[in-house]
Amino acid sequence: MKTILEAKRVKKIYGTRGNVFTALEDIDLSVQEGEFVGIMGPSGAGKSTLLNILATIDEPTSGDITIDSSNITDMSEDTLAAFRHDKLGFIFQDYNLLDTLTVKENIILPLALAKTSVTDIAQRLNAVARRFGIEPILDKYPYQISGGQKQRTAASRAIITNPTLVLADEPTGALDSKSATDLLETLKDLSSNDNATILMVTHDAYAASYSQRILFIKDGKLFTELIKGNKSRKKFFNKILDILAALGGEANDII
Amino acid sequence: MTLFSLAKKNIQGNFRHYFVYFISMVFSMVIYFTFVSLQYSEEIQDSIELSDTMSFMFMISSFMLLIFVSTFIFYSNSFFTRRRKKELGLYSLLGLKKKTIGKLLFYENLVMGLIALVVGIIVGSLLSKLFSLILIRLMGSAAEVDFGISFLAIAQTSAVFIVIIMITSIQGYRLIYRFKLIELFQAEKQEEQMPKASFLSSLAGVVLLVISYWLIVRPFPDVLDLEYLLKNYGVSLLLLVTGTHLFFRSVTFYLLKLLQTNKRLFYKGTNLINISQLIYRIRGNARTFTVIALLSAATIGFFTATYTGYYGNKESARGLVPFSYNHLSKNEQQDEKVRNIIQKDKVHAIESALDIPVVPVKGELSFDLDYELNPVKLIPESTYNQAAKALDREFNATLSGNEAVVIQPRLTEYAPSDFIGENIKLNLPQDTMRLKFVDMFKGSVLPFDYPDFYIVISDQLFAEITEYMPAKTYKVYEVENETATKETAKTLNKLLSEDFQVSSTFYTQYKQGKEGNALNLFIFGFLGLVFLAATGSILYFKQLTEANEVRYNYEILRNIGVSKSKIRNSIKKQILFVFSLPLVIGIVHSIVILIFITNFISNLIGSSILIPIITAITAFILIYAIYYLMTAHTYNKIVNR
Repeated sequence: MKTILEAKRVKKIYGTRGNVFTALEDIDLSVQEGEFVGIMGPSGAGKSTLLNILATIDEPTSGDITIDSSNITDMSEDTLAAFRHDKLGFIFQDYNLLDTLTVKENIILPLALAKTSVTDIAQRLNAVARRFGIEPILDKYPYQISGGQKQRTAASRAIITNPTLVLADEPTGALDSKSATDLLETLKDLSSNDNATILMVTHDAYAASYSQRILFIKDGKLFTELIKGNKSRKKFFNKILDILAALGGEANDII
Repeated sequence: MTLFSLAKKNIQGNFRHYFVYFISMVFSMVIYFTFVSLQYSEEIQDSIELSDTMSFMFMISSFMLLIFVSTFIFYSNSFFTRRRKKELGLYSLLGLKKKTIGKLLFYENLVMGLIALVVGIIVGSLLSKLFSLILIRLMGSAAEVDFGISFLAIAQTSAVFIVIIMITSIQGYRLIYRFKLIELFQAEKQEEQMPKASFLSSLAGVVLLVISYWLIVRPFPDVLDLEYLLKNYGVSLLLLVTGTHLFFRSVTFYLLKLLQTNKRLFYKGTNLINISQLIYRIRGNARTFTVIALLSAATIGFFTATYTGYYGNKESARGLVPFSYNHLSKNEQQDEKVRNIIQKDKVHAIESALDIPVVPVKGELSFDLDYELNPVKLIPESTYNQAAKALDREFNATLSGNEAVVIQPRLTEYAPSDFIGENIKLNLPQDTMRLKFVDMFKGSVLPFDYPDFYIVISDQLFAEITEYMPAKTYKVYEVENETATKETAKTLNKLLSEDFQVSSTFYTQYKQGKEGNALNLFIFGFLGLVFLAATGSILYFKQLTEANEVRYNYEILRNIGVSKSKIRNSIKKQILFVFSLPLVIGIVHSIVILIFITNFISNLIGSSILIPIITAITAFILIYAIYYLMTAHTYNKIVNR
């Protein structure tokens, strides 16, 4: 199996001399093609920092990151933009949809930017719209649809370019449980049926239980790893809760 | 914390916003003060011969300027307070009394206004010297400009602006009472809905514009009265204003929507973002665009017209008064006196002196001509040829028998084909005589005196007629460097008044035209610059406010992989559209206005209109281009960091 993402000794330090804060310390990470990986950890553990660095939106202080066999740590700003556009798909907690565009236009935006032909655009749009069940709302504007619909729109935009890696930052954070389940089911389906590689940051154990493997981060370091294997989702979910208890459990230990 | 220290901290914290408001106030005051002090300037009044007209022109213009300037101040005031609503809401939330907040705003605005006034008057005094220098240069006078300060101007400016400042201050005081707390907090993020395109109002916009264009450019009716002017142009102005507004509000909107349906174009690169962003914004900008387009149109139109007048003044003066000095010979004594005066002026030596005999007779044309004919003035062929030669003209008449040549009546646009082959019947005391037109010449040889209908006939025929009809003799002189014959012209004017409808001396005609035109040119140029600067600034600030609102959108775009350079290009395109749209419409309007103006004063303008119009439009585009570059740069800095 092909390695899509390879991060070595990634370090991120904020601040200047005298007042430094280490957000990430020597993180090693490897994700294979078709994997659905979750990243969990308490607030301030460095989850979002890690995701932003992998998303090339932020730069690591040191370390190497290779995505689809290209090293992203020494690319220029414009090459990075092109890289983000070609290889990555993003789903954000606050959707990041443009209010001035319809749902349809939001989804096809990356294709339009790449100057894809109109017929190709239509074909791909139909495919993702069907998959996420958003055909009826294609001509609506973001302010006219619900949070769940917005997130499915954002997810459609993320995968319409067939990205090598989909990065999701708390995608269910603002959704009710029904919408969250729908979205997670679709992501899981994407990974198992279409061989899409997904990396999802979440603090929600229920959301994480849909992934195949979970990395736990604490205080900027890799804490542990949990693999679903053949466990049922229910059992996996309980395992996750155990680890979370241990993660945030220091206070309890002292007592 | 006292109210004063709160106000002080406010100003320090929001310095940039305050600064922009402050500068626009100072700008308005400087402009107004400069203009008013020119109005009161004694040097300028002394150096001009038509002071009454000038004061009137200045008065009207300063009134227009006042309206414009106060609108501009109110606009920047509301722009400024809108940005601060949230801050005021916060004070209220923290328990500051409404009255206290009101006072805070009142004093803040009052103090800022007064400081701006002082700065404005100081800067204005310096600028008014510069502008009076320019004005005097334009008029061709040699008056000295010293650095006297006009107290009348200071008083008038202060009075006007203290009233405006008081009004805006009171508005500030009332602001907190006018809104509910919740409204203050929501001021900045009112959700915009995608507006709907209406085919009907787009159609109405185009139709209104077409009708108003047609009303403006259509030729005058045979009977031209005030009622027609008021009705026709009143209606067309109204249609032009509504049509322009609808054009920006609906037509451009509709066209952009239409672009959206062209998928091949719309789904290409950043077009998707550009077009939908513009669609979103165009309604909010429609009123600004309308004001800008109309102001630009008026400025370009009238500036070009006056510039053409200024530019073509010499030629038009030559047309009206062909020779340097002209008079009707009444008796030997006076003729001698005039000749002596002219000869005494050695600097302007006589190049040629002629006697032009003219016989006025009654005549009837063989066809209908829309011009008052009688008395028809007859000139002998040889005299006309001599005069034409003295004036460096190429016409040369060789006539025989009853052939005749018409000289084109001035201020008309008849062509040779209107006359060639036609006849005129002259009613002489003995009998009638029929003359046949063989040509029409342009260029009269005597000063304008209505009716301006001259006919050149053969010397032989002229001699026959003068046997039983007395000829008047006009004496004309052409001198060297006639544009500088101030003293001689002045002396002669006293002696020779009322021989013609225009002045008897070329110099006076030329000078009066030059001064009048220079004054118009200056006033329109000045107002034009002010309009340009103000509208440019309004566009600039509006775009920057938008930039702050849409910053988040560009962050999203960067996140999904749009490079900075692509975003920069997209911004440039959008801003270019925003700047060129009202300008293009303004230029189209101004061309229509110019057609109207040339209609109205036809030959008066005379010379080529092409150079003035190109100059005016180029200047306009240049200044706008500077604003465009500035706006695109700052916009990019805000959203694309």
